[in-house]
Amino acid sequence: MNPVRAGASHKAFSLDRIAAIASNTLTELTRLKVFYVLLLFACVLIGSSVLMARLSFQQEFQVLKDISLGAMSIFTSLLAIVATARMLPQDTEDRIVYTILAKPVPRFEYLLGKLLGVLLLLAISTLIMSALFLALLYSREHAALAATNRQMAGLPQEQLHAALQSIRDSTFNPDLLPGISVIFLKACLLASLTIFISTFATSQIFTVVVTVFVYFIGHLQGTAREFWLQGHSAGWLARTFLAVVALLFPDLQLFNLADEVVAGAAIPLAIFLKTAALGAFYTVIYLLFATAIFSAKEL
Amino acid sequence: MIEAAVVVTGVTKTFPVPFKRRSVLAVRDLSLRVDAGQVYGLLGPNGSGKSTTLKIILGLVAPTRGKAEIFARDSTEVASREAVGFLPENPYFPKYLTGAETLRFYGKLCGLSSRALTKKIQELLELVGLTSAGDRRLGGYSKGMLQRIGLAQALVNEPRLVVLDEPTAGVDPVGSREIRDLILDLKKRGITVLLSSHLLDQVQEVCDRVGILANGELVSEGAVNELLAVENQTEVVFEAGSEELTRQIEALINTAGGRLIDCRKSRKTLERLFLDVTLK
Repeated sequence: MNPVRAGASHKAFSLDRIAAIASNTLTELTRLKVFYVLLLFACVLIGSSVLMARLSFQQEFQVLKDISLGAMSIFTSLLAIVATARMLPQDTEDRIVYTILAKPVPRFEYLLGKLLGVLLLLAISTLIMSALFLALLYSREHAALAATNRQMAGLPQEQLHAALQSIRDSTFNPDLLPGISVIFLKACLLASLTIFISTFATSQIFTVVVTVFVYFIGHLQGTAREFWLQGHSAGWLARTFLAVVALLFPDLQLFNLADEVVAGAAIPLAIFLKTAALGAFYTVIYLLFATAIFSAKEL
Repeated sequence: MIEAAVVVTGVTKTFPVPFKRRSVLAVRDLSLRVDAGQVYGLLGPNGSGKSTTLKIILGLVAPTRGKAEIFARDSTEVASREAVGFLPENPYFPKYLTGAETLRFYGKLCGLSSRALTKKIQELLELVGLTSAGDRRLGGYSKGMLQRIGLAQALVNEPRLVVLDEPTAGVDPVGSREIRDLILDLKKRGITVLLSSHLLDQVQEVCDRVGILANGELVSEGAVNELLAVENQTEVVFEAGSEELTRQIEALINTAGGRLIDCRKSRKTLERLFLDVTLK
């Protein structure tokens, strides 16, 4: 055999290795047919548009956006948790992790590659779901404009223009994109949280249960904190407890910008940036925690 | 002095038992050395500490005490694995990848370029006899084929040391013979092989040196020929001899003051018979 030696000096950090693990993870998930969940999303959209036939245009668009963004949030979150929870236990059970880490691959790169693979999957899924959703919204808007044109053919131009503009305003608004981005970031955070939990979990089911538990705490903690602070004269103990909970569990309610988007309200840039930064922060923090535990783990 | 491929010095490994104060001792004060170019067999019953020792050498498990080195580099350093190829016991490689994709993936982890890999993959598939199965997904591979693709991935970075954990476990005699031939081929090319097994016949056939582990301790170690040689006994095997010749030899032994211990027809091994009838 011709010698094809690897580089003489070992790189402590290699984007090529991370890319190899990420693309392998994406291939794995794709060939496991996880994209079938998108078909489910398409069915939800088609089903909801059939049910909305009796609503007024404005109501229909609002409901369509509400259902679509809600479904996107649930599907991406589910995909993030389920796809990530199986990765480490499966690799350990199949001993694939041994063959990977017996190559000159640092454990951090292994975890980062795995996480990036899932994030790629989430990005592709979000893009496809957004495309389906926007295509449906566009086609409904088109139908609504045509119908309005027909119905108001005899009315003055100003009135017709105003009606058409009102339809356009209630379909596409620029806040749809930040709304979708935040849904994606929430899924990234959940994937990173899941990978962290799976580094010390004893089984896949444990990882899923704990992550779902954290998911609910994350959604409820903001409300609970407000209730507690208003209803009680919070002492230092309660405050410390709430601070610890807030630190360990991300306030996932902050990622729920869909209501504003559905209502057509603008998402202030500062709020969007703050939410995006929070999502990125937790994603990185959980990955670092995962690395700390996984590096010391006996395989 | 011959370069050392592996040096294990005073390694002890204990695993804590969760929720209990005691711990399980897997390896106790183990020291061994594998010279470059040697085929070294680590033997022992199940649970004797073979796999743990290999994992310590590969840096997958940290020793509680002592240290392991690969070509003079501490095996806890990620860089030490540049010179190593590893085939774990009963590996299940990603079922969703084809044979060629599997080798490409592991090659990339070793920092090989896509261009170099294209040629390398063909060479490796040919070496392990899987050229025609390179485009098939591993989900459809037999146990023996999986073991051979596992060996190919272990060789993708041209390692100087190949570590094989039970390389023929669960493989039929034909596949097992092929893996044995591959190990001998590696030896010819100067690659050091460290393997663990409890199939003693095979170890005897391929290994230069063996270490026997029992309850985490190295209870015997040395060159195979020396360990197996029986003092004061000599075997003579001849063919086309008459019964008269056998009697004469027995008489000669007695006259010379020796003692004939056994005299019987040579038999082929069951494995040889199996290979002869199945490979026709």
